[in-house]
Amino acid sequence: MAPITVRRLSKVFDGGVQALHPLDLEVRDGELLVLLGPSGSGKTTVLRCIAGLEEPTSGDVVIGERVVTQLSPAERDVAMVFQNPALYPHLTVRENIAFPLEVRHVAAAQIARRVLEAATRLGLKDVLDRMPDQLSEGERQRVALGRAVVRGPQVFLLDEPLSRLDAKLRIALRGELLALHRALGATMIYVTHDQTEAMTIGQRIAVLHEGRLRQVGTPEEVYQRPADVHVARFVGTPGMNVLQGRGRAAEKGRVIEVGSLVIPIELSTYEGELQLGIRPEFVTLCAADHGVGNADVLVVEPLGSETLVHLDAGGQPLVARVPGFAETRVGTQVGVKLDRRRVYLFDAAGAPLA
Amino acid sequence: MSVTRWTIPAVAAALVAAIATLLVVRGAQSQYEQEFAMRMARTTSTYIAAVTPPPPPPPPPPVRRPPPAARRGRPRAAAPSPSRPQPPAVPPPPAPQLSPAARSYHLPALLTQARALKTLPGWTSEVEVYYGTAPLVDATAPPLTPDDLRELDSTGTRWRGGVAIVPLRDRQGRELVGAVAVRPLPVRRGPLPGGLGFALPAALLAVGVAAVIAFRGRSLRGGGYIAAALLLAGAGFSDVHTAARVSTDRWLVDTRRLIQDAAARIPPPGIRVAVNDLAALVQSSGGEVVDGEPGESAPRRVQIDGDQRAVVAISIGSNRWVELRAVPAELDAPRWIILLLPCALLGPIGILLLRWAERTPVRQRRESAIAWGFLTPAMVHLLVFTIGPAIFAVYLALHSAETVAGLANFRNVLDDPVTWRSFRNTLVYSLYVPVSVGVALFAALMVHAHRARWSGRLLGAAFLSPYVCSVVAIALLWQLIYQMGALGLGRVDWLNNQATALAALMAIAIWAHVGGQMMVFLVGLRRIPRSYLDAARVDGAGAWQRFWRITLPLLRPFTWFVVVTGFISAFQVFTLVFVLTQGGPLHSTDVLANRVYRLAWGSPAEAGVGVATALAAAVFVLVAIFRWPQLKLLTRVVRDA
Repeated sequence: MAPITVRRLSKVFDGGVQALHPLDLEVRDGELLVLLGPSGSGKTTVLRCIAGLEEPTSGDVVIGERVVTQLSPAERDVAMVFQNPALYPHLTVRENIAFPLEVRHVAAAQIARRVLEAATRLGLKDVLDRMPDQLSEGERQRVALGRAVVRGPQVFLLDEPLSRLDAKLRIALRGELLALHRALGATMIYVTHDQTEAMTIGQRIAVLHEGRLRQVGTPEEVYQRPADVHVARFVGTPGMNVLQGRGRAAEKGRVIEVGSLVIPIELSTYEGELQLGIRPEFVTLCAADHGVGNADVLVVEPLGSETLVHLDAGGQPLVARVPGFAETRVGTQVGVKLDRRRVYLFDAAGAPLA
Repeated sequence: MSVTRWTIPAVAAALVAAIATLLVVRGAQSQYEQEFAMRMARTTSTYIAAVTPPPPPPPPPPVRRPPPAARRGRPRAAAPSPSRPQPPAVPPPPAPQLSPAARSYHLPALLTQARALKTLPGWTSEVEVYYGTAPLVDATAPPLTPDDLRELDSTGTRWRGGVAIVPLRDRQGRELVGAVAVRPLPVRRGPLPGGLGFALPAALLAVGVAAVIAFRGRSLRGGGYIAAALLLAGAGFSDVHTAARVSTDRWLVDTRRLIQDAAARIPPPGIRVAVNDLAALVQSSGGEVVDGEPGESAPRRVQIDGDQRAVVAISIGSNRWVELRAVPAELDAPRWIILLLPCALLGPIGILLLRWAERTPVRQRRESAIAWGFLTPAMVHLLVFTIGPAIFAVYLALHSAETVAGLANFRNVLDDPVTWRSFRNTLVYSLYVPVSVGVALFAALMVHAHRARWSGRLLGAAFLSPYVCSVVAIALLWQLIYQMGALGLGRVDWLNNQATALAALMAIAIWAHVGGQMMVFLVGLRRIPRSYLDAARVDGAGAWQRFWRITLPLLRPFTWFVVVTGFISAFQVFTLVFVLTQGGPLHSTDVLANRVYRLAWGSPAEAGVGVATALAAAVFVLVAIFRWPQLKLLTRVVRDA
């Protein structure tokens, strides 16, 4: 097993699109790191650069002790699981799993043993002789895992392996994946755009946005102490509310005006343009004129255990998470209260304040 | 009894089918009757020309010769008169001005002769002879109009109101003198009581069965109505066949009388008639007269040199017998089945459609109707331009110049060493396909690898350009290249050398076909998702392993397609050979398609269309063997897509 170090990695595609700005990332030995970001953020490009499928414009990839930047994928001893999941359609499950061993000219007896081992581990023993198009989506993804596992590589790269599965299957397979990681102890990089998946799976999460690495940290760190507005917005379901406002002096200390809300903030000395972040669970609703301001109710989404209320606070969108079923009616005006201790302040560019 | 809204249409369909079938039968019967009448009229006309004596010594020259415009018997006075006035009411038009040639008959003799025809025993038709426009046999009959005569002179025959009219010419067979008209007398049409044929009872039966099915709601699967419809078609054919047979028999019997009569009158007294003179009587109506044995006077069918003939024996006095022969009309009667069977099956088809409509929801019915609306033009096209010619080709292959040849044409093909030579040449020629497929695959891989760059596009266009050229243009271009010894080929006339001509053609074929095959491979390559190759790279496969283990297997349907279509087109190669070598030198580039062409149209035409079509049919079977995997393949490609 091996740690992975990515040094000043950047990628500019033909045509001048800068997919990655120079980026440093360290994945510890045996760690499961999640690369999280919206589509187009460059997370798959990072993965493909590590796998060797994409040649970085600059920078280095180090796996274990070796600088592998100039090596072909075959020489890097990495295994990759694709989103689609790229099972060879003309080969049976057995042949698919055996493929990485066969192209490396492993002895036939050993191939048979290791394929059976991997298949048993993934519960594929009964479907070994089927063709990929005869499998369910979940089985197919397991075969793709099997093809990665069978070689016992130093590093596993998983490119949104669960995104095509339905919700229930995804949760089940997520558990299996974690168990597999524990059993193998291998270093894994897991790419996803689903922040729930990232939170549940990752030992650490690296958040990418527009080709830049924004934050690397444990799920808790990323959630509690977002490094910037983009991370704050992206992590959480729904993400953090970010409102544009400005701070100014008032009769009693200082206030921040965001839309129709006027929030007294003693701590901040900041004046001028800023962004205020607050997670929906810390927004509460009350009767009109009883909070820090009023807002119009746009949409009410009851989810059972809680209700999401989408508000318009003087032109600024704001979501409140209310336990149970809310009484709120669409089209009415409500008062808004914010838990002041949970407010995050960012400057106009998105960097955290204080 | 359950009457639904389908009952009436079902019975109507059966009625329509029955009536249509009866109409076809009736039409066939009248056609055979007409055929008989025409034939009889022609024979009678020849007979009159043969037996009527020439006029007595020439009369004094006429005072005023008619102008040339009147030579066709056009009476100047009759021109404005209305057509065919009734004799009692209006006086007959003035006798037409006849040319001198018309006077080659002795009119009184002609009159006698014409009247004598009425007295021939056993004749089954009424006959009228016109001199000019005037009737001779029955003086009160309406005369012909001058227009009729003119028409007759140009077209030869007329059929009007159940009467066949043919021209009567002078003894030299040149100038129009008058006309002979034959009206066949009604005869029994069928063997049933009252001269009834089988068709009518069968039609009634079919309609009855259909009515029972319609009212009882019984299933067509019982086959009762289908059987009745087939019976109707069979009965109709039987009636048509009878009519055809009767048509020939009547002609034989009636002509027999004429021949007996002519035998006594043609030669000068005391001299035996020559068989040739008698044969001349029936030549124009498709008959033969030969020396014969004593026999019955009733017509029979015999085999002569493998062909069926209808014959009748004729005694021409003093123990001399001749035999009158004709091709039996019933030999071509089976073609009526093509009309009879569909007509008779209209009923079952209609009822099947109605039953389908009854079972099917309205929406599906409407959609089916729309679908068929779209399909029909294509199906008609297919039927007329593909299936029809194919059936015609089968007919041609089994016939040799209008006569049934059976498998003889095929035997001819198989016995012909040049055919086998061309078969071998075709096989050798088709070996260019694996080569061109290999080159095409390589080219496609190159172009695909460089597809994003201008070099790749240029390469693709270069390979493709021969494919979009006309084969003739390509052939001429290469002819020039070979002749000039360009491209370092040296001054060998590659196309005129037995040893190299076929190889030279194959080289052109490779050059011409690589582009199209490359296109197919490019589509195939584009369809392989990049993730398969990425996965293979990560799995550790090198470029060579990726090609053999991933790319090539995933291209398999496309490779198959290219190979199969390549062999098919190789088997059908014609243009290249036709333009460049015509199969030469010494058949060294003679291929099957060229052989077919040579057999049919080659100069000298070597074997005729029948043999050529037989070879074409054999080639078709060969190609069909290749088509089979192609069809399976196409369905697979479609399914995979």
